[in-house]
Amino acid sequence: MTASALALIVFLPLLAACATVAFPGRWVGLIVRTGLLPLPLLMLVPTAAVLDQNVVHLALAGHASPLGIEWRLDSLSLLMLWLNVGITVLISLHAGFTFRPDSDRGRRFWPLWLILFASMNALVLSADLFNLYVTLELVTLAAIGLIAVESKPAALRAGMRYLLLALMASLLYLLGVGLIYGQAGTLDLYLIAEQIEPGWLPVTALTLMIVGLLIKSAVFPLHAWLPAAHGNAPGPVSAILSAMVVKVSIYMIWRLWFWGAAGWDLTTAANLMGLLGAAAIVYGSLAALVQDRLKMIVAYSTVAQLGYLMLLFPLASALAFQAASYHLLSHGLAKAAMFLAAANILNSVGTDRLQRLAGVDQRLPLDVFALALGGVSILGLPPSGGFVAKWLFLEAAWQQQAWGWLILVAGGGLLAAAYLFRVLGVICLHPRKRLDKRPRRENPDLASVAALILAVGAIAAGFFSAPVLDLVSAGLPPGMTP
Amino acid sequence: MTLFLLDGLIVVGLVTLAYQAVSSRSLFRGIIHFVVFGLTMALAWARVGAPDLAMAEAAIGAGLTGALMLVAYRRLVEGRSDSPADPAPAQSRLALPIAIGSGLLVGVIGLSALFSEVEPAQAGQAVLSELQQVDLGNPITAVLLLYRGLDTLLEVAVLLTAFLAARAVAGADGGEGSATTPAPETPMVGALLAVVIPLTVLVAIHLLRAGSYEPGGAFQGGAVLAGAGVLLILSGRIAATPVAGPLIRMGLLAGLVSFMLIGLVPLLKGSPLLALPGLWAVYFIETAMMLSIAITLILLFAGGGGLKRGRNG
Repeated sequence: MTASALALIVFLPLLAACATVAFPGRWVGLIVRTGLLPLPLLMLVPTAAVLDQNVVHLALAGHASPLGIEWRLDSLSLLMLWLNVGITVLISLHAGFTFRPDSDRGRRFWPLWLILFASMNALVLSADLFNLYVTLELVTLAAIGLIAVESKPAALRAGMRYLLLALMASLLYLLGVGLIYGQAGTLDLYLIAEQIEPGWLPVTALTLMIVGLLIKSAVFPLHAWLPAAHGNAPGPVSAILSAMVVKVSIYMIWRLWFWGAAGWDLTTAANLMGLLGAAAIVYGSLAALVQDRLKMIVAYSTVAQLGYLMLLFPLASALAFQAASYHLLSHGLAKAAMFLAAANILNSVGTDRLQRLAGVDQRLPLDVFALALGGVSILGLPPSGGFVAKWLFLEAAWQQQAWGWLILVAGGGLLAAAYLFRVLGVICLHPRKRLDKRPRRENPDLASVAALILAVGAIAAGFFSAPVLDLVSAGLPPGMTP
Repeated sequence: MTLFLLDGLIVVGLVTLAYQAVSSRSLFRGIIHFVVFGLTMALAWARVGAPDLAMAEAAIGAGLTGALMLVAYRRLVEGRSDSPADPAPAQSRLALPIAIGSGLLVGVIGLSALFSEVEPAQAGQAVLSELQQVDLGNPITAVLLLYRGLDTLLEVAVLLTAFLAARAVAGADGGEGSATTPAPETPMVGALLAVVIPLTVLVAIHLLRAGSYEPGGAFQGGAVLAGAGVLLILSGRIAATPVAGPLIRMGLLAGLVSFMLIGLVPLLKGSPLLALPGLWAVYFIETAMMLSIAITLILLFAGGGGLKRGRNG
């Protein structure tokens, strides 16, 4: 039962992608719905299984590792799966209007969208280093195709730069996998921990893999490709890129670090990772403060917010793990909402230059509201999901008397407030100024509603944190105790 | 001694060719060096006892990638009338750091090869001991389809995604009018094709069939078959169209869809996912994958979404 559900969670969208290529006529809309909508229901089966037995192992083709590939579903994978399913389905509501399934653009968009979705599901399930590489390649390629899907010069250039960096990152990761296989004789992430003692070769291998993944997750100073790619991609694509695509490679780093290298003394490296995160928070926020395009501000905000996910390494406690997992969730929801709202504004006004946006709140109240709600969660005001995450981070830092990280988390919130209030100030605080031009294009209501649902989700995450945090603490990495 | 000399020649050749490929002042020369590098790399794979890799490298790494690069080069030159006949690649400031980084990486691999104790890999041992239970003589095919089927399935999906992404980048204007202007028709071309194409197809089918007991398989066969397609495009027998017909679409998806469907069927009987129901499934999936791989590569080369009869067809 669980096996079938998980198989469908990966293969149903992939089959649907093939079907949209095979029948590019008027059936595309129906096929996409068949490939996406059953997923939330299907997710109930593995959820029940994880609540029941904590970890679900699945040997594909009946061959357990080291011979075959295993899928391993635990709390963290389940959280990522839910996040992916939920966000993708909601963004798809929006994308249904930007990329009408019966249009030429839609026919180019939907197969890649479904493949991206399926490959991220496959990624978070996989327990095999090489299989993770293949799924990550699939994620990257599909993402690049989606960035360039509108064939705008800026997006093409950003996509090309992303492609080159991502390929280099893949090679680094693959080289690390090769070195690990040479020593451990297995590719199973969870067997490696038992096989390998820390030495210079395993450390080199791990470093190569992590550097590759850091490039893919655009962690400062390897973030150079992100703002251009996320800022110039079509709205729904920017949303999924910031909400999920950069997160899955951070998820992989967590897996390598806390499960693969469990029991290694990584204090120095962990502090280094934390410093990268700190630099990302400061630099990303300051850069967001000086951008003059709304989407670029949101993109730089992603650079900053990714920094918080890096704080898990130096803090490395159960509380910090809960905090980071929750940050991943609430940032995903909030950022998807903000990018969708920005896309609606861009579509309606025809530009997203900040000085042209004064008075947009009167024309697009729902979108500006969604943008503001997302912003509330990003800067960690109560009662949002972002607040819960930041609070847990503060608590974790407090417990370990890590004052530096504590100041950073608090200060990061202030910086976020600065760039977000700048946006809201320009949009909302204006002396009865009305946009003189009529809307370039009308947005369908559902496009705004999709953004709003995601934003409300990010806020509501503040109220319903208990079950999620319980779930996360049921699947802590080895060596962490609640 | 001779073998030692050969190995030394390959190593020196690889480094020189790699340097020439990236440092060449002329883009065209760079591409040619890259192709020769691929062929030498295939020799190197053959020397370290990996004939499957050697074949894949020669067919895909040197052959098709080279063809793709040359077609891109041609578009680059033809697209800009003001540009010189042979554009020189711009010098990148990143060249030196990347070179140093790559050198360090090579050093790491070399050191690891020198100092690590080579233990027989668990996974590899497991494959060899399990292999007796199935009727497949080639452990690589067994790994690709029986033991690590999901990897292969997703690799085929990667290829499809590459094609879809290329189509997305090409946008609305991509497709019609492939940049491969065929050479004037001479009787020799027709005669040559009449011999070469059937032979290539024969080789591809042989590689596919051989895959079950000796080096070969869907990827190598597909690449060779794609070579035949490239030849047909270059001689104007077939040409690109913006949209694919039903037959091409079916071929494009055959590998991935049949792998997924056959892989899902065992779930109905309570067997694990991707547990292939028999050797017939292996052969079926391999054949379908070969077709899909070939068609995807041909379409990538043609730069279109579909194929039609060309002007010399």
